[in-house]
Amino acid sequence: MRTKFRSSLALKLAVFVLCGSVAVFSVVLLYSYIYSRQIILDQGKGKALNLALAMSRKIEQQFIAVHKLPKSLAGFLESSTFDQKTLSRVIEKMVSDNSEIYGMAVAFQPFGFEKNLRAFAPYFYKIGKTPQYCDLSNAKYNYFQQDWFHIPVELKAPVPSEPYYDEGGGNILMVTYSFPFFYHSDDGKRLGVRGVVTADVSLEWLSKLMKEINEDRKGFCFVITDTGVFVTYPNFNYVMRESVFSVAEENNNPELRKIGLQILHSNRGFLDVGTSFCTQDSFLAYSKILSTGWTFGAIFPKDVFFAEVERLHRANLLISLVGVSMLALLAVLVARSIARPLKQMAGAAKKISVGDLDIKLDATNRSDEVGILAQSFTQMAEGLKERDFIRDAFGRYVTQEVVNRLLKSHDGLKLGGEIREISMMMSDIRGFTALTANMKPEDIITLLNRYLGQMVDILLDFRGIIDEIIGDGILAFFGAPEPLEDHPERAVACALKMQQAMAEINARNTMDGLPRLEMGIAINTGSVVVGNIGSDKRVKYGAVGPDVNFTGRMESFSVGGQVLVSQSTFERLSNILDVKKVLQVEMKGFEHKVKLYDVTGIRGKYGVALKDREEVFRALTKPITLTYCQLSQKTISSRGTLGTLREVSQREARTTCPERIAQWENIRIILHDEKGEIPKAVIYAKVISVEEARDFYHVTVHFTSVSPQALHILQEAV
Amino acid sequence: MKKVILVLTFLWALFGTNLVGGDSALTHVTFIPQWIPQAQFAGYMMALEKGFYRDAGLDVTILRGGPSSPPLEALKSGSATFCTVWLSTAVQQRSSGLKLVNLAQIIQRSALMLIARKSSGINALNDLNGRRIGLWQGDFKIQPDALFQLQHLNVIEVPMYSTVNLFLKRAVDVISAMWYNEYHTLLNSGFSQDELTTFFFSDYGLNFPEDGIYCLEETLKENPKVCKSFVQASLQGWIYALNHKEETINVVMRCAEAAHTGTNRAHQMWMLAKMKDLILPVGNKTILGALDEGQYKLVTTTLLSLGLIDNPPLFEDFYRSQK
Repeated sequence: MRTKFRSSLALKLAVFVLCGSVAVFSVVLLYSYIYSRQIILDQGKGKALNLALAMSRKIEQQFIAVHKLPKSLAGFLESSTFDQKTLSRVIEKMVSDNSEIYGMAVAFQPFGFEKNLRAFAPYFYKIGKTPQYCDLSNAKYNYFQQDWFHIPVELKAPVPSEPYYDEGGGNILMVTYSFPFFYHSDDGKRLGVRGVVTADVSLEWLSKLMKEINEDRKGFCFVITDTGVFVTYPNFNYVMRESVFSVAEENNNPELRKIGLQILHSNRGFLDVGTSFCTQDSFLAYSKILSTGWTFGAIFPKDVFFAEVERLHRANLLISLVGVSMLALLAVLVARSIARPLKQMAGAAKKISVGDLDIKLDATNRSDEVGILAQSFTQMAEGLKERDFIRDAFGRYVTQEVVNRLLKSHDGLKLGGEIREISMMMSDIRGFTALTANMKPEDIITLLNRYLGQMVDILLDFRGIIDEIIGDGILAFFGAPEPLEDHPERAVACALKMQQAMAEINARNTMDGLPRLEMGIAINTGSVVVGNIGSDKRVKYGAVGPDVNFTGRMESFSVGGQVLVSQSTFERLSNILDVKKVLQVEMKGFEHKVKLYDVTGIRGKYGVALKDREEVFRALTKPITLTYCQLSQKTISSRGTLGTLREVSQREARTTCPERIAQWENIRIILHDEKGEIPKAVIYAKVISVEEARDFYHVTVHFTSVSPQALHILQEAV
Repeated sequence: MKKVILVLTFLWALFGTNLVGGDSALTHVTFIPQWIPQAQFAGYMMALEKGFYRDAGLDVTILRGGPSSPPLEALKSGSATFCTVWLSTAVQQRSSGLKLVNLAQIIQRSALMLIARKSSGINALNDLNGRRIGLWQGDFKIQPDALFQLQHLNVIEVPMYSTVNLFLKRAVDVISAMWYNEYHTLLNSGFSQDELTTFFFSDYGLNFPEDGIYCLEETLKENPKVCKSFVQASLQGWIYALNHKEETINVVMRCAEAAHTGTNRAHQMWMLAKMKDLILPVGNKTILGALDEGQYKLVTTTLLSLGLIDNPPLFEDFYRSQK
């Protein structure tokens, strides 16, 4: 995976885009989540607080309403005189007229009612709807010691009791209000406490109210006293038994104790209470009911509170997920569309590196950067191909060494030259023009290409530089542009190899019905000027100088199969050359005869030897008449002379002629039969020796080419 | 309100109906603790619950105690065989003629204390001067009276009855409290420990042992075996209760529910935990249920000096170990 990741641009891009977009989306989502939560929280907090306040006010109103009765009774007792009967009637009426009031008492301080009555406390309470009478002043009960009496007396102020359950009256939540009433001086001044008016008030309305609210809401509401005791709570077991603090202690939840303290010590508030009140993570809004000091609290589960936000957030999350997935998909597609052509190009580059320039890229028709790259890449390959083609073509027309020199440095193209000692070689097919005069052009090309192909290969093997190929003739040299110390040796060995190769060429020619070829080669060594010759438009690396011309002239003395070496070359190689014969020839511009060495082998590191070509002459059973004419400057002179062919070897013939023919002359021979000349029996040859007899000349000729008919006649004649 | 109390007076029904009430082999006795059902009496509840009384050959009925049913009245009237009262009460009663004997001293230390709001500026004993102090009447006043006399404090005494509401409603600055009961009630009414200043009487040379098991001397004379069985089964019940808190609290809560005392587990837990400290004080050599003569002397001396008794009963006459 890891290597795949490293090696895949598409994967990388996709992963980066994915990570990036996930990061961005996450930040945006998180921010929007937090921010929207905060907004909802702020709004919800206000709403929750208002609810708590409204509820506590509502409860307050109810309390104030029931407050009024004992309060007004206390006022009545302070301002009027009354007897036992009147008092009882008033109490009884109040109890029966008010459905919320379950019982009322007027309890007097010791001797407060009458001087000789220690305790007096008439009490009316409901059983069903009828008020019952009871005097609380029995010794067992001792109302003086009860909180409802004792505390308001001590405080000289009205006090609501802790709420309680009236088990006798059908488990109704009750609270007792106690209002002290006072003695007054004649001028209306308040003196000591005379007694306490109490009213047992049902809190059923509170229970009902809470139940109603709790049914409507997802959370719940409760009321606690000023000491944290639960007055109403969904869990009935808590009511009047547990306080916030006992629950905190029981559940070992110090956080709840802190919350309880906060509720008791402030009038309103909004708190994050976690799971202190119920299993759901919740908020609490609370507000004090001022007349009792109790507190109304409302629990809001957070998930309900934040339901809207959660919904929004879920939608956002979904949208983001879809978005991210689409982005990722898009990234993969884009990355692939980039990576695939790149991969293809990488493959193509590899192909190019091993020399295969035939590449095809799909992306070239694209107009983007990848397309441009692909186009450039293709162009580059095309360029390379062209260069290769040029180098190849160049190499065919020019020697590899020259090409290399040119490619290596631009100086290689500079015109100008230097004097260098080199060995030159000139080769030629004997009588090629005459030989091919009547041949089809394609045959001529086949013949020539076969011959030149072989020769060029050999020349290149010996690092010969081909200066020129003119038709069947080749001018080559050794030792330039790269200096070669053994250039004479290479030149000679190369020439010998070339001669050897002629056997194979001729074998193939014979097979194809093409004429045999004979090649003569001349080699000369000398100092010449080598360099770039020509103009800015056309340049040739070549050699010029008298020795070049001399080599050309030397070549004209060679016969087929012969390698002629000049004196200067011979001198350099005399100890390794096998020389068959030394020719003494006259040449223009030379006072004395010039020595040419007919070399048949070379020893040393190249070690080439030609087969012995000693001619074995056979006398013809019947001499053949012939016509010969001199070929001068490769044209045939019209005047023919008759002669006689008497002896013949593989390559030569001995004839007798009535006229003198110059040695080294090229001639054409047409053989005769009884009827005269046979037009197709043609032999081209070079005169290699002329001896004068009494009235005729013995002329030995070396065949340059023999037509098939002529060959046939000769074979018949032997 | 009053109706409830009227209805409930004397109505702490017996529990443990599994007891074979009519088993003639068991001796029927009645026990009244000096207060309402709570962990203060867990040992007796567990002795009944676990069948220790029955195993001792007793069929015990536990009556509901409380302010309106004083245990010694029950003893005198014969409606109860055994009761628990404070040592100081018992000494006073004996010296004033009630032939009462201590069969076992259960609570070895004084748990009585005074509690004040720090916010009212009370931080030391001297600060009590001139303050309104809610005090339980009767036997509970002996130690405060002794303290005020010893410390030369002038306080405004306000009678206090069953609840701490006098304090909560700010009718007084200080109230008397039991460490195992009212102190915790205040803590669970929203007071923090550091908001309250506490004065333990045990810290001021007034470490009076409290609850003990008593019967009339006559009962002991006539049924010594029954007395012994009752005390030993009760002690066994205490050992069990102190060692099995959860189970004990379940039983205590059941009794409290039946008596509609409106308490809660947390409160009873606190109380039971404090009971252990009071019954088996750390570092005190006194063995479970024994009355230490030195402690006894402290009580009689104090009572004598306050003029509450004239003639302290002899330790030997007073304390009749049932070990």
